[in-house]
Amino acid sequence: MIEIKNLTKRFEDFTAVDSLDLKIKTGEFFGLLGPNGAGKTTTISMLSTLLLPTEGEILIDGERLTRKNPALKRKISVITQEYSMRQDMTMDEIMEYQGRLYFMPVKKIREKSEELLEFCDLLPFRKRTVRHLSGGMKRKLMVCRALLTDPEILLLDEPTAGMDALSRRQMWNLLRQLNDKNLTILLTTHYMEEAQSLCERVAMMNHGRLEEVNTPQGMIEALGCYTVDQMTVSGTVSRYFHERSDAITYLSSLEGKCTLRDTTLEDVFIERADKNK
Amino acid sequence: MGIITILWEKWREFRRDFYKITLAAMIAPLMYLVVFGMGIKTVTNGQPYLNFLIPGVVALTTMNGSFNAIAQNLNVQRLYEKAFDQVMISPTPLWQFIVGQIIGGSLRGLYAGIVILVLTIPIGTGLVFNGYSFLIMFLNGAVFSTIGVVVSFYARNHTDVPRFSNYIIMPMAYLCNTFFSTEQMPHGLREVIGALPLSQTSAMLRSIAAGEGCGYTGILILGVYLLVFGALAFAFLYKKKNL
Repeated sequence: MIEIKNLTKRFEDFTAVDSLDLKIKTGEFFGLLGPNGAGKTTTISMLSTLLLPTEGEILIDGERLTRKNPALKRKISVITQEYSMRQDMTMDEIMEYQGRLYFMPVKKIREKSEELLEFCDLLPFRKRTVRHLSGGMKRKLMVCRALLTDPEILLLDEPTAGMDALSRRQMWNLLRQLNDKNLTILLTTHYMEEAQSLCERVAMMNHGRLEEVNTPQGMIEALGCYTVDQMTVSGTVSRYFHERSDAITYLSSLEGKCTLRDTTLEDVFIERADKNK
Repeated sequence: MGIITILWEKWREFRRDFYKITLAAMIAPLMYLVVFGMGIKTVTNGQPYLNFLIPGVVALTTMNGSFNAIAQNLNVQRLYEKAFDQVMISPTPLWQFIVGQIIGGSLRGLYAGIVILVLTIPIGTGLVFNGYSFLIMFLNGAVFSTIGVVVSFYARNHTDVPRFSNYIIMPMAYLCNTFFSTEQMPHGLREVIGALPLSQTSAMLRSIAAGEGCGYTGILILGVYLLVFGALAFAFLYKKKNL
């Protein structure tokens, strides 16, 4: 269980994360959503001890997370937003370095690396240095590296950014499989479809503050499960309805190009963003 | 042990760039030896100037070898590649990371110094280099590796490390008992420059080379530098809230 208590991070006079309180259950797939600058990456950075909080604390299974707590850090793997890898290392070396940093026996590192690289279709490129890999390959390598150490908690900061649609789907399947094995996953993403498809619960953040924690479906239901989009000269105007019959009645009253569809998490996100303008 | 991991990483780097590292370690010191020692032939205290110069050049080579092996590399890992993030996230204790960097850097400095010693063998100077010389070279490397760690941590951008090299390392290379004795400096400046780690290393190597042995004061001074800069590096990693 991850418990975040009154977590605050200030950079001089700018508050990036403001009194965040959150509980993430063991084995949960949790999403952290919000517009750019909402404080998602700062929160992940504090969870990975890259940044230290100005106030508040993070507890993992009841124990306080600090930079001096190797036993707790061993439970966590992070896939950062940037390609945080030595450019001059080969894939094999990246994996071995990671395994060694986590005190894994070299034999086990090599066995597990082979297995993971094969799973991600990276085995033919294992001798290639990072600087000669495509963006998608680097992302996959980061996933392999994160999984090498058998973490209990996986922190993912926009893990599918820059991936093509097929690779993204493969990544989703992989993350689902991992979550099925009781791995706790905390994900930040700008792809609402991704959060809706993968996360059991999501938290909406804005300006460093937590606005709401709910299931994706709960958020959609609160807005209205049915959406009527009307194309106008100034753009698409959407209205949300709790009842399908109400949506159909409204739709039939409209002229021009209109559609009825299911509401998505993206609609929830856009509605909130509009309100917060 | 995390130290072994860092040494493994340094060894991998050394093996891959062996020729580049070796050449880089040789060029500048060779120029100094050829220009100052063989081109401009002078005599100091009845001895060929080369005998004075070689220990100084060996000292400055270990300094440059160690500092450059750590500062620039770590700076790139931290600010550009972000590879240092993975070390911070990992359970490897950060003190082990720092100690690994210091030992790795010292070994690189020691290697660079040995390369110069090997190159000077054909000159047949009769200078003595023994186990103590190598210990002092290692210690000097340790001090400048630690300075390299501190500089790379406190650097805010990529140009900070070369800037530090220009303002601090380069003047030290010329002034610290390497090409001429600090005894020739004016009072006040002599004491300050004389207390710097490179001055101490040059003096100790020169003393051993002349067959006179060296006291423990210089070693103690190097130890103090090592502790002070080591403490700064640890403070940065454990206390700094934003890396």
